Amino acid sequence: MWDTARMDVKRVVDVIRVDQAACTTRTPVEKAPDPELGTDVIPAARYYSEEFMKLEWERIWTKVWLLGGRADDIPEPGDYICTDIGKESVLIVRQHDGTLRAFPNVCLHRGNRLRPEGLGNATEFRCMYHHWTYSLEGVIERLPDLCTFAQGGPPGMTLPSLPCTEWNSFVWFSLNPEIEPFDDYIAPLKDHLEPYHPERMAWKRDVTVEWDCNWKASVDAFNETYHVQGIHPQLLWYLDDVNVQIDCYERHNRYLIPFATVSPRVAMPSQIPPAIDEIMRHAGMDPAEYEGRISDIRRDVQLFKRKHGASQGKDYSALNDDQLTDDYHYMIFPNIALNVHADDVLMFRQRPHATDPNKMLYDVWVFELLPEGEEWPERVKHRRFKHGDRSIGQVLDQDAFNLPTVQLGMQSDNFPGLWIGEQELRIRHFHKVLDDYIYGPGGKSPDDI
Amino acid sequence: MDLGLQGKKAIVVGGARGIGFAVAEVLAREGCDIALSARGEDSVKDAVASLSRYGTKVIGKAVNVRKADEYKEWLAWAIETLEGVDVVIPLTSAGSGIGSEKYWSNAFETDVMGPVRAVEAAIPHMTEQGSGSIVLVATTSALEAMGGPQAYNAMKTSLITYGKQLALAHGKDGIRVNVVSPGPVEFEGGNWDMIKGTMEKFYASQLRQQPMGRLGKPEEIARAIVFLASEAASWCSGSHLVVDGAFTNRTHF
Repeated sequence: MWDTARMDVKRVVDVIRVDQAACTTRTPVEKAPDPELGTDVIPAARYYSEEFMKLEWERIWTKVWLLGGRADDIPEPGDYICTDIGKESVLIVRQHDGTLRAFPNVCLHRGNRLRPEGLGNATEFRCMYHHWTYSLEGVIERLPDLCTFAQGGPPGMTLPSLPCTEWNSFVWFSLNPEIEPFDDYIAPLKDHLEPYHPERMAWKRDVTVEWDCNWKASVDAFNETYHVQGIHPQLLWYLDDVNVQIDCYERHNRYLIPFATVSPRVAMPSQIPPAIDEIMRHAGMDPAEYEGRISDIRRDVQLFKRKHGASQGKDYSALNDDQLTDDYHYMIFPNIALNVHADDVLMFRQRPHATDPNKMLYDVWVFELLPEGEEWPERVKHRRFKHGDRSIGQVLDQDAFNLPTVQLGMQSDNFPGLWIGEQELRIRHFHKVLDDYIYGPGGKSPDDI
Repeated sequence: MDLGLQGKKAIVVGGARGIGFAVAEVLAREGCDIALSARGEDSVKDAVASLSRYGTKVIGKAVNVRKADEYKEWLAWAIETLEGVDVVIPLTSAGSGIGSEKYWSNAFETDVMGPVRAVEAAIPHMTEQGSGSIVLVATTSALEAMGGPQAYNAMKTSLITYGKQLALAHGKDGIRVNVVSPGPVEFEGGNWDMIKGTMEKFYASQLRQQPMGRLGKPEEIARAIVFLASEAASWCSGSHLVVDGAFTNRTHF
């Protein structure tokens, strides 16, 4: 942990945190030992090299578990999610027996895509070209004029089957038929994330933005809090970006950021900052009635939610007190960033472009806790646009604003690579995991990018 | 110009930060003994420690102005410990807020009754000694609509009326009462510091409206307040001084 007193701060703040010994809920709070990852430059070339992009495709994207979508979007038999990853497109289909199956979204005849990206319901998947027709199980049910194919139909008359599973309200798939069990891959995050009960949360926002940067530039952007003082000055009156706990696990990592508090980087104000005022109101408190000090608000919001959550139809019993205010921010390797909170989840899926290492797709998914007894809202519509065409909110606009110029700058001959500090340990950890997939565990040599 | 403040005893309610602290500092530098208050004990301690370097008697104690009894006790303690009172400058404010009725009672207790109770505690002593000076602090938000319908502006406005009434009533006792209305003032930890950080565009729009291209500094308000509080302003009473770098658009006839 860095020395908070020597940083560019106005005050030293001692944050009250839940003690692991006293913690009876499942999400661990203890600090994981920091891995020894050195201080080397992270080569810039991996952000724009087509060769590296190819390695990523062969050794990461086609090898790992990937997030496909939200399970409650496909409750009925025939409901499906069609999602793209790189040059591939995948259909994840709810079966008559309630299980899921996934297969490539491609007709075995001439290669046409069976469905456009998005959600739908089908009794069968019929290719629009020559009407080859597949069942929900991926079996070819109809192949017009089969007798004119001297070689017969494709092997087994079925689409290849891809691994898929359902966990914590989300569906996951892999392009790797030999993938390890999902439970092994996601470890240790089941204990961390299941207590948030995302199945009680409803879609609030579903947006895809085309960004002009490499997907890893986006992953990096959300993997450190050091940038808050740089591009999100308004958040300094909302969270503590200095007293952040970083935990690196085998391939995933997280940080814990105290919310509803004022950053040590700015002087303590005499009036409750607007964003903290908002947190209090959302919890059901009246900021005008608040008699305590601003530095006590975070703890008082926790106590208030603990006391009044149940009567508001919000069951916080599986969460510790810090989880009632703070941002527990997870990265699920390789491409998911989640800000999980007691009342909502703000998550990003960062997908590579099919061919261009300088472009990516940024999916923003927001879910909000629905108080017990309230009617489940209609699902929000998915929107897709290019960066800059529309706002995605002040904070995310600030995040997005820099990325195209970062992507350009990284291609300079004068920029060997990323000069990473301790507050950015998660970036280093992410790239170490990436290296191990690309070059084999510990196999990266000094000349490798 | 001699302000004639050497050896005077001044009470600054809300004197640990911002304009209040700047007032206390100018007074201390001019040789006044000072009693100051704030909500938090730490801020009082820090302010007292900092002001003690000017060599006058500086005392302080934390008090919540909204708790009438506690506050009245504080005022009595301040007058007793200072062994008298010549200058009273109450600056406490509950700040702004829209949406809850409670903001009105908060502003009434803090922005109105804070000054009223300080004045009522001091008047008998000032009357007895035949001299005294009170400065109330309103705001330019009382003169021009700003920030939406809320208690802050309305309650602060009442101080302008109250100040004049006090001046009329107590002139015969040698007590002068004046009001200062500051424009937007920026200092570390102040509201405009937070607005600059959290609402950059709004802050920039305010700067554009400022004839001098900047907001005020606490000491710029403090010097005007201290002048009116001092013997140098011996025939100023019942006046209302706007200190805002010409920010307000209206003409102050």
